[in-house]
Amino acid sequence: MGSLHAFFTFLGDGDHWVGPHGIPHRTYEHLRLSLTAIAISAAIAMPLAAWLGHIRRGGVVAQWMLNIGRAVPSLAILAIVFRVSLQWGFGLGFWPVVPALVALGIPPLFANTYAGVAGVDPTVIEAAKGMGFRPGQVLTKVEIPNALPLALAGLRVASLQVIATATLGAYVAFDALGSFINEGFRQQDPGKLLTGSVAVALLALAFDGGLGLAARRASPWRRIDRRVTTADDPIESV
Amino acid sequence: MNSDSLIWWDWVGRHGHDIWVATLEHLQLTLIAVGVGLLLSILLAAISLRWRSTYWFIAGTAGVLYTIPSLALFAFLVTWTGFTTLTAEIGLVSYTLLILLRNIVEGLDGVPPDVKEAAEAMGYRPTPRFFAVDLRLATPAIMTGLRIATVTTIGLVTVTGLIGQGGYGSFIDAGLKRNFSTEVMVGAGLSVVMAIILDGILVAIGWALTPWLRAGKTSRRDRTSRPALPEPEPADLVGQVG
Amino acid sequence: MALLGTLALVATACGSSSKSSTSSAASAPAITIGAQDFGESAILAQIYKQGLEDKGYKVDVQKLGGFRDLEVTAFDKKTINFAPEYAASMLEFLNGKKGEASGDVDATVTKLQTYLAPKGLVATDASKAVDTNAFVVTKATADKYGLKSLSDLASKGQSLTLGGPADCATNAFCIPGLKSKYGLDLSAKFKSLETGQVAPALDAGQIDVALLFSTDSTIKTKNYVLLTDDKSMLAADNVVPVVTTDLGSNADLAKAINAISATLTTQKLIDMNERYDVQKDDEAVIAKDYLTSEHLIG
Repeated sequence: MGSLHAFFTFLGDGDHWVGPHGIPHRTYEHLRLSLTAIAISAAIAMPLAAWLGHIRRGGVVAQWMLNIGRAVPSLAILAIVFRVSLQWGFGLGFWPVVPALVALGIPPLFANTYAGVAGVDPTVIEAAKGMGFRPGQVLTKVEIPNALPLALAGLRVASLQVIATATLGAYVAFDALGSFINEGFRQQDPGKLLTGSVAVALLALAFDGGLGLAARRASPWRRIDRRVTTADDPIESV
Repeated sequence: MNSDSLIWWDWVGRHGHDIWVATLEHLQLTLIAVGVGLLLSILLAAISLRWRSTYWFIAGTAGVLYTIPSLALFAFLVTWTGFTTLTAEIGLVSYTLLILLRNIVEGLDGVPPDVKEAAEAMGYRPTPRFFAVDLRLATPAIMTGLRIATVTTIGLVTVTGLIGQGGYGSFIDAGLKRNFSTEVMVGAGLSVVMAIILDGILVAIGWALTPWLRAGKTSRRDRTSRPALPEPEPADLVGQVG
Repeated sequence: MALLGTLALVATACGSSSKSSTSSAASAPAITIGAQDFGESAILAQIYKQGLEDKGYKVDVQKLGGFRDLEVTAFDKKTINFAPEYAASMLEFLNGKKGEASGDVDATVTKLQTYLAPKGLVATDASKAVDTNAFVVTKATADKYGLKSLSDLASKGQSLTLGGPADCATNAFCIPGLKSKYGLDLSAKFKSLETGQVAPALDAGQIDVALLFSTDSTIKTKNYVLLTDDKSMLAADNVVPVVTTDLGSNADLAKAINAISATLTTQKLIDMNERYDVQKDDEAVIAKDYLTSEHLIG
């Protein structure tokens, strides 16, 4: 079909592989933005969630946040932050997009880390205390290692969301893979549009795959599959 | 008018009618997407469970559809089906598939085999048993999936504002392009409100549909040390947002 | 016999009075106007919509979500059959930037018709109102670099950042035009922004040169320096409605459209844009007020 042909033509054009608007540079920018946002989300969400999970408070908040946070339109956050950041001189593009992506990344990271830490089998904790572990050690030596698979799964979800949504940065002059999509749509250039979409999808899948491998390595004592957690009590879920 | 403030309340006052129309549009887009998604997912789940080997392919396709940025998917669909509700719905339904499919399959899978056998011993044939027993027992998992899918869809409908569809997304789109924060705030704020309301309704429906969970309090007592997180698979709660 | 005669007289009388105003409107196809992603386009679409509805036509507005590329695709796909356009820009879009547009609006429109015809389109009368591209800088930037004209920009401003709508990269009167007429390539640092974001970005110093529309009210009110087009890159960008030939051949419809177009002037566009951009009024309300004051409706 025509679009597929346009896609390969676009890729075949050498001009599209060089310069600040080329595929490599825009991929790099997209990654740079995504990784920054993911890192900030993790830095905010994970320690907080680990601590709250340890003292077992805030579970309801975690679940609720995860759910409702999804409805906040990232585009709206972008628009507001852009307006504010212009006034404060944060520049176009990069930094205005970060808050929107961090808002996306925090819920899954928080909820999963919390679930992981709080969900450690109480008998294991009893055993640890029996062996003389102090609360701090229980956290670091028992809860966190046990929480790792879930936390990593949360990281995967957060990364997927961030990488896919970073495309919206094109609406605030952030020149990355999203620009291919925005321009492709506005200029009615299907080759460009497909290039942007495929590139983002590939990036997301690569990240997801990489993190999946890391998750496997992180907990050799447990077989990780996609239904990683609590086949425990699905009936409890309402 | 204070042009520096984020919300011009008198604008909101003057546009009550437009806001109401947008609310109905948004609701309609959301409910159609989730409804169609649910039906499709149940069908696909039934197929996956009957012929196990297909699950990998079906879930994989839904998963790949998932990684396509929503913006790109809608922009691409426009060239095929135009600036119509159909375009928006095709995209929206695609995103609900992965969420609902996973949860429905987990839920149906979780039905204990002895319950199924007992039902058949009582005279149920496979298909009626599927609807009367399996689906009912899978209700909690399905409701969880529905909640996530609904809230996610509400967020995604706003992206369809970029391709001329209505709902709160048209406010966000207009506000973004003409630099009018009031419209953006109204669009975003109302999306969240709608999500909270619909989520609450689904919780109530789920509660009503599962009387057997409300009955036995004993099974919960020894879980006080664990948080009662409703999502069975928080790890798998992938969310595309707009 | 006399009764029949009277009835016949009454019948013809009824027939002839309805013929002039509603029969052609009723028989005309439904009109869908395409509106591009900027305020003026939305306002013009509403003006024609409400003005024609007043004459009995069925009219709808379709937001295009972008610029000329989407509009032309929509014409090709027959999802729209009317669009308020700009003579020179439309010409240069359709002829592959050949440079056939000039400052003479009649010549430009005549040339435009030759490109519209193979697409099944035709341009109705052009109005006096002109909206062309405007390259502006802040007074501070102009003083700092000594910029008064686009030639100055070409010689002293190659390192400056241009900001404008996404359209700029391919629009004959933006980046490509600067390249061919002035030898100035600003594409590397170009920042693509939504139309409402361009002026704020300029004010915040995030871009040095802004691509605004010449009917943008803020040019005067914010004291921007409009760089003069000393090498005549810009051309006759008069507002001119483009319609499909079956709409254009409907004489009454063409008359109604032209009546509306005849009232438009550049200053009126500036005033309406001010209401949209600064007061944040709705385009439908702005259009209605305009039509009322021009006695085109009501």
